[in-house]
Amino acid sequence: MTDNKNSKYSKNYKLSISNPKIFDAIKMLISILIALAITFVILCLVSSDPVNAIITILTGPLTKTRYIGAVIESFIPYAFAGLAAGVLFSAGAFNLGAEGIYILSGAVVTAVAITPLTESSILHPILCYLAAMAFGGTLMILPSFLKAKFGTNEMVVSLMLNSIYAGIAAYVVRNYLGTLKRGGNSSKDYLATAKIPYIYDPLHITICFILLIVVTIILYLVMKKSRLGYQIRLAGTNPKFAEYSGISAFKLAISTAAIAGVLSGMGATTALLTQTTFYTPSQSLVGIGFSGMLMSMLGRNNPIGIVIAAFMIKYLEQGTAILYFVDNSVPSEIVAIVEGIIIMLISSQHFLRRFREKKLLKEGLEEHAE
Amino acid sequence: MKETILKLDNVTKVYPNGTVANRDINMEFEKGEIHSIVGENGAGKSTLMKVIFGIERPSSGTVTYKGEETHFNSSMDAIKAGIGMVHQHFMLIPSFSIVDNIILGDEPTKSVFIDQKEAARRCQELSDKYDFELDVNAKVSTLSVAKRQKVEILKTLYRNAELIILDEPTSVLTPQETEKLFNQLRFFKEQGHTIIFISHKLEEVKQISDKISVIRNGVSKGTYLNEELSMEQLTNLIIGRDLDNDMDEYKTHEDFHHQNALEIKDLYMEQNGKPVLDNISFAVKCGEILGVAGVEGNGQQQLVKCITGLEETAYTGDIVICGKRVNELNIKGRRDGGMAYIPEDRMGDGVAGQLPISDNLISTYYTREDINSKLFMDSKKIAAVSDNLIKTFAVKTKSADAPVNSLSGGNVQKVVVAREYNTDSKFMIAEQPTHGIDIGSAEFVHHKLIEMRNAGAGILLVSADLNEVMALSDRIIVMFNGQIAGYFPDANKVGESELGMYMLGAKHQSAEEIGGALND
Repeated sequence: MTDNKNSKYSKNYKLSISNPKIFDAIKMLISILIALAITFVILCLVSSDPVNAIITILTGPLTKTRYIGAVIESFIPYAFAGLAAGVLFSAGAFNLGAEGIYILSGAVVTAVAITPLTESSILHPILCYLAAMAFGGTLMILPSFLKAKFGTNEMVVSLMLNSIYAGIAAYVVRNYLGTLKRGGNSSKDYLATAKIPYIYDPLHITICFILLIVVTIILYLVMKKSRLGYQIRLAGTNPKFAEYSGISAFKLAISTAAIAGVLSGMGATTALLTQTTFYTPSQSLVGIGFSGMLMSMLGRNNPIGIVIAAFMIKYLEQGTAILYFVDNSVPSEIVAIVEGIIIMLISSQHFLRRFREKKLLKEGLEEHAE
Repeated sequence: MKETILKLDNVTKVYPNGTVANRDINMEFEKGEIHSIVGENGAGKSTLMKVIFGIERPSSGTVTYKGEETHFNSSMDAIKAGIGMVHQHFMLIPSFSIVDNIILGDEPTKSVFIDQKEAARRCQELSDKYDFELDVNAKVSTLSVAKRQKVEILKTLYRNAELIILDEPTSVLTPQETEKLFNQLRFFKEQGHTIIFISHKLEEVKQISDKISVIRNGVSKGTYLNEELSMEQLTNLIIGRDLDNDMDEYKTHEDFHHQNALEIKDLYMEQNGKPVLDNISFAVKCGEILGVAGVEGNGQQQLVKCITGLEETAYTGDIVICGKRVNELNIKGRRDGGMAYIPEDRMGDGVAGQLPISDNLISTYYTREDINSKLFMDSKKIAAVSDNLIKTFAVKTKSADAPVNSLSGGNVQKVVVAREYNTDSKFMIAEQPTHGIDIGSAEFVHHKLIEMRNAGAGILLVSADLNEVMALSDRIIVMFNGQIAGYFPDANKVGESELGMYMLGAKHQSAEEIGGALND
């Protein structure tokens, strides 16, 4: 029974476009190429030296270590946001609350980081992390809980909560954590013990980079191998089937939301303790939670893919920023065009479909002939 | 002097998942004939009709209607051209009146308002002309299935359809209602309408058709005059071999009968203030198949819902599975208590279409020790289990990693049955287990159900297919209007028309006779 050497059905899936995974990969590659081609066309219109401009975008960040260092430092919080969104999307939950969680747990991190709780510069960041993760994990549950218990629309609820959380964060920072020195809208400076140092200075690598890699690998294993991951896959592709199979939709919604909240808390802590010395709720973390959804879409909800996507997007942003230095006729917003086109193409159901169908038709007919 | 109304030339349709549903189909339909298209379910009949009706576009080939090549973008174009279709699952809005349903999309107007009077008059006129006996102001939700079907047909006539496609129209009807429908179809023919009749019930096809076209495996096997085909020849054309229809070799295993797999006592349930389950009591013994016959919509679905616990529903009475009262348990608790369930809605409830076959083969026992290691699920053992199931259930696929929605309907059902079979449950609900699948797969599923019964499982078979209920069941109950209308302790001793009378409510047994369903 367990002798699966003659395992007939497990391996011989053809390396061809009819295999959905390979089709996805090809689609992604072609999408990126088309996006770059369109970007080049736009560059031709706005720049006097379009060839140089596109080379700068693509290779600029590699020209100096501090450039690539900036990419590494800035992409980590986005990668965490992407992982959070990926978990929710995989489970079929459209909870868009990561944005609010980032901003509010920023306030939590700040509260811990400005309070002299400990002398230890190891323990203090850990406390910051734990506080933000606990907070994020708990708050993220709310939209999913309301949906499961009262049938509310989690998308609407999570978007409303984003505003509410941002408001609370602003209020708390102004009244309890702030300092008049910065006009009242920002917090006091973090204590030196809370700052996370570089472990490899030239590339701006901190312990957070290693944390991200570890978390990504764990998440990958959970999603692909564990029973929880299996439940998430079932519920994400067909919730009725999951329910029919005896998987509790409620428990699953709560646990995935909690995981996403914990990841958001990690991302917010990382961003604040590595990139700033104080917190401004209206600026510091704005937009990261939402960008996470973009990373998740690009990475097709696969944890490793999401991290790569986050790196790629931040790399391109850095490239355009460098280009703006050299040639300020090209606005740095051009990166948004690249992102937009890629997202549009890969999320399109019909893009390249005919190509694949033709191939399938041929294969299907061949099989009949056999 | 026959004129061709519709002609198909080399029509091929490939679905995005790679299924070749139709291949090089050539067919001709003449005006004023009843032309049946037969084939196993999954042979490609429905796809072909969708192509004709503009719902799907052919991948290659042409459709010529009244001498002109068609390029329908949607069914709206087909309707305008004079083609009507009555779908297997009705497309009606229950809360609307018959008139509103019929005129929807093509309302007669008086300035900017809908001319209700004129609409009602025209609908009533049509109904009377074709002898439909409908009160066009009645709400659709109050109508029986047969009447709803009439509304669907009326809808096509209202839009002046000359060519009417009927997709499995008799699957929801009793034998008596079918007879009535056929008389109406013959009348349409006299009026000059062309009827395309799709069915997999061969007796009916022989009874009504002028011509018969056969599709097997997506390929046309020719068009024949009804007279020139015998039943045997037709069967052969459809499945390509003789059918082994011998279920009698299996005998009931009475050694298991002292235990009950399921007991239902005084089950009562209301919907919208009306009882949909009215004091139902019966038992399924271990080692038997209890068949539930009845026209769809007479409480069978609610009954299954109550037993499976898939949705929270309010009911009174007792449900006992394998000796344990399960009223308060959800579906997981009931599964743990020994229940397996083959659901009616295969793609909706029974599988996750985009996931691999292997994932779908383990969903109802994914926590079981034999496929898990401590921390993770054991992918090697899962592969072994799924390979084994694919082999024993003869699922036609290249790989266990292929998504389920790349399989044909029959093979998807085999995946569902294989999974539920592998739970080793003592009690199984099979809800329409062979609905819409090919004869070969259906036969396979039947044999597996019987195999389970012989191994001691109790099976509740709920099916609208009377032949299936009669062929598989040891005992039969008939449901009508939320009640058990008849109980037959020996399925071999009751005929189709006898059951039909109970299904229609023309006959009703006494409480004493029905009591046998629980106490025998």
